[in-house]
Amino acid sequence: MNKLTKFKPVIGLEIHVELKTKSKMFCQCEADYFGKEPNTNTCPVCLGLPGALPVPNRKAVERTILIGKALDCKINKISKFDRKHYFYPDLPKGYQISQYDEPIAVKGKLSIFNNQYSNQSQNSNSEFDKNFRITRVHLEEDTGKLLHVGSDTLVDFNRSGVPLVEIVTEPDFDNSDDVKVFLEELQTIIRYLGVSDADMEKGTMRIEPNVSLIKLNLLQLKNVKRVPGNPKGSVKLPKYKVEVKNINSFRFVKDAIDYELERQIALLEKGITPKQETRGYDPDKKITFGQRSKEEAHDYRYFPEPDIPPMTFSEKFIAEIKVPELPQERLDRYINKFGLREQDAFVITRSLQTTNYFETIITDKVVQEFKAKKKISNLEDHVAKIIINKKLSTDLQVRAFIKKTLEMLQPKETDEKLLNALIDRLIEASSKAVEDYKKGKENAIMYLVGQVMREMKGKADAKIIISKLKAQISNPQLKSKN
Amino acid sequence: MNLHGKSLLELRQLLTDKKISEKELNLYFLKRIKKYNPKLNAFITVLENNHSGIPYGAKDIFCTKGIRTTAAAKVLDNFIPPYESTVTRKLQEAGMAALGKTNMDAWAHGASTETSDYGVTKNPWDNGRYPGGSSGGSAAAISAYLVSAAIGTDTGGSIRHPSAWCGVIGLKPTYGRVSRYGVIAMGSSWDCPGPMTLTVEDNAYLLKQIAGQDKYDATSSGSAVPDYSNEIKKNKKFKIGIAESYFDGIDDQIKNQVYKAIKVLKKLGHSVKPIKLLPPKYSISVYTILQRAEVSSNLSRYDGVRYGNDRSFFGQEAKRRIMLGTYTLSYGYYDAYYKNAQKVRTIIIENFKSVFKDVDLIVGPNTPVTALKIGEFDKYPFYGELMDQLNEPASTAGIPDLSIPVGLDSHNLPIGFKIMGNYFDEANILNLAYQFEKETDFFGVIKKGIERYKD
Amino acid sequence: MKKIELTREDILHLAKLSSLKLTDQEVEKYCNQLGETVEFVKNLKELKTDVVIPTSQITNLTDVFFTDGETNKRVLTKEKATENAKYKKEKYFVVKRIM
Repeated sequence: MNKLTKFKPVIGLEIHVELKTKSKMFCQCEADYFGKEPNTNTCPVCLGLPGALPVPNRKAVERTILIGKALDCKINKISKFDRKHYFYPDLPKGYQISQYDEPIAVKGKLSIFNNQYSNQSQNSNSEFDKNFRITRVHLEEDTGKLLHVGSDTLVDFNRSGVPLVEIVTEPDFDNSDDVKVFLEELQTIIRYLGVSDADMEKGTMRIEPNVSLIKLNLLQLKNVKRVPGNPKGSVKLPKYKVEVKNINSFRFVKDAIDYELERQIALLEKGITPKQETRGYDPDKKITFGQRSKEEAHDYRYFPEPDIPPMTFSEKFIAEIKVPELPQERLDRYINKFGLREQDAFVITRSLQTTNYFETIITDKVVQEFKAKKKISNLEDHVAKIIINKKLSTDLQVRAFIKKTLEMLQPKETDEKLLNALIDRLIEASSKAVEDYKKGKENAIMYLVGQVMREMKGKADAKIIISKLKAQISNPQLKSKN
Repeated sequence: MNLHGKSLLELRQLLTDKKISEKELNLYFLKRIKKYNPKLNAFITVLENNHSGIPYGAKDIFCTKGIRTTAAAKVLDNFIPPYESTVTRKLQEAGMAALGKTNMDAWAHGASTETSDYGVTKNPWDNGRYPGGSSGGSAAAISAYLVSAAIGTDTGGSIRHPSAWCGVIGLKPTYGRVSRYGVIAMGSSWDCPGPMTLTVEDNAYLLKQIAGQDKYDATSSGSAVPDYSNEIKKNKKFKIGIAESYFDGIDDQIKNQVYKAIKVLKKLGHSVKPIKLLPPKYSISVYTILQRAEVSSNLSRYDGVRYGNDRSFFGQEAKRRIMLGTYTLSYGYYDAYYKNAQKVRTIIIENFKSVFKDVDLIVGPNTPVTALKIGEFDKYPFYGELMDQLNEPASTAGIPDLSIPVGLDSHNLPIGFKIMGNYFDEANILNLAYQFEKETDFFGVIKKGIERYKD
Repeated sequence: MKKIELTREDILHLAKLSSLKLTDQEVEKYCNQLGETVEFVKNLKELKTDVVIPTSQITNLTDVFFTDGETNKRVLTKEKATENAKYKKEKYFVVKRIM
């Protein structure tokens, strides 16, 4: 019996995304801290000097609402900031300004479309179009950075106070594949929204999966119906959960979850309940390891931030924050409107840069005129294929790309006389192929098409050649000649 | 020229008229500080080389750029702020300069200055007694005329209490009237910087300088700042409320002087009527819970990494407050303590709002007793809350409250009288105080105080 | 009314949360003093608060923000940020290695 049939994984995610605003969350220091000398991007506020007070950045709040809307959340009409207390050298005030019981957005969902990966993992029970519930989306401030050197830990507060959005999911995942696809989808959405680079390596996107397992008896297992959007079904949540931190790629998220599941099953099978703890991940050894916990008690003593008045969002204000076309919608449009194959549409829409490049090309005035004049109804599909098959690089300047594309799509000016003569000659010369075709070997005609194309040096349309060949072969005149 | 006892505005006029120079003025007060501060210990830091600007005393809780700021706590023994608080910046822009940083209870925790890590300040009226606190250094400094005016902060009485005990005029403005930016935070939803002076006109003038919205303090109010100096001179008659609950357990001598002051107000044509205010004990509890919680949070930043000393340098009072605040915020207790206190805060606010539908101002005693002897602090459990029981209701609601002297008791110690007003009604409070000053000259209290400290 | 007792363990737990090191004497003292204070504030139970909305802001202000990209007039240039630090290395603050 598969081990997982005895234990059901229960996985939830905490995702942090640094917002790409100009200023930090509560002061006017630059949010872009990359490449700056240590502690040169600070002020009394983000350095936590005595007497300094926070004032929130409006843009960061609007962008959090945008993320909330893109994830189908309810935007709270009233929201506030709270203080979350713990001691750590990278946290200048001894508390982080975060949101506790009135976050900006709650109760959303994100669907994923997991067919790309369904064959990769054997224990995956992936389905298409799964819903995962988003518990909340809230806004907080980032901490400084620590650097461990010899017997010292060095602290740099350039990053302190950068706006950080936390997205929390329900523990709806039961396998690491879904997690990976979900994260890729989320990352793509964040990038489409233009609110963050969401770069795992740079740390502008960070994932903390929490992993646990619940024991099921066979009877329960049968009765557990997978309700879309509520995979927990009737099963109670486990009494513990293990949070894994410091993971800097989606691949490692998946590996860390898989390792954790194995580790925890081994314990559970011995009748030991895994310890509730925070663990780190070592990508070289592909293992998780126990960390000395930041605050063993995890009693953050939240209370409403007295320095910041509450926020109120009117219907009108919320409505004015517009969600742009998201990857899934764009994919559907490419399929339905342009007739792209699903895989092609998927590849194009994955990268914001690629899809925007594609959009620029296909909506270009010259390209549109060309399409109308030459009656190329599937022009977009052609452009998509040129991009996907790397016939042209998207690094090209738009004008250069368009020029070359139009050359490639120029309908072939065919010398009809020459073509007809050639076809007649070929049919006569290739009696075997003609016979094969007549016997029903459809492929045989492709040999002839190839011959014609070569002779015509490409200056003919394959479709026209095929129809001409077919017409000629079944021509009674020709038959009588035989 | 005899400068002794001149008000801030009088000194300012002498400067404007070029009758004295800023240097002369500063040297005059420096000389007085040199003479009397060793005895009074009103200043933690004196800027001996500062000879420009109109001198004033700044409580050592205001961050002053390049000037050591300690909050009277060894944790910040060597902290030199790299930035200026909004209040002290605004005063600079008005041509003023802090001549020294005044002593206080450490972190503003207390009503005696006993908790200062730099030694207790002595009451100028009786050097064996407390000046009150936490802005005790500021009150003592002006009472002994070591400066003509000072700035303090008031969380649960820290301006009013020492003003009462030292016999000066101290205003706690409406919460949000004056920016808290650069004020070392004690109780963030309570802290109010305010002026402490020898005349009502000086008080009105200073309030005008420091009040107003600040883009660096999100809780500062955008409501217009009246010209208080003009407002106080308008001929106004007020409906004044008196709450019986504010006279419970108050020293008889204080009661008598307060009633005497009320008679003066009646004589001036103001109407007086009884009102019902919740007993102050509820404000004490609300204050104790919420302020300690905020203290425990606000003192979290002192870890010795970026500035100052580490947490082992905290004194007893700070530790006690941190511990209690941590307790009431901790898991499982939040609703019972913190949240419930927030609810009672709402009740107290509503209570004041409904009373102010009936009356313009509320008057009463300021402290239950006059200045206590140094060392008596330990005799009273809840010393601070007890001393500030009449101050904490206004703090809880966030309304303005002024303390003025209305006489001396049998020990020759000043008696304080409070005037509370509705939100942003400082103009009316100061107007009534000004009328009282014109009529009585505070029964000579302020002058008597200054005269004890000759040039 | 029965006096609320805080145990030694309670005090030590609070001290840990508060990052304070207490002497045995202090622990003893705070057991008492915190208990007394907690006892004192019990009077709030005399008031009916079931339907009262808690006040965490007495200003009635809402929606106070600054505009993204505003000029930064407060940045601490050069070595200003670390000027008050006891322990620093180049431009970093330094603490004893924590990991």
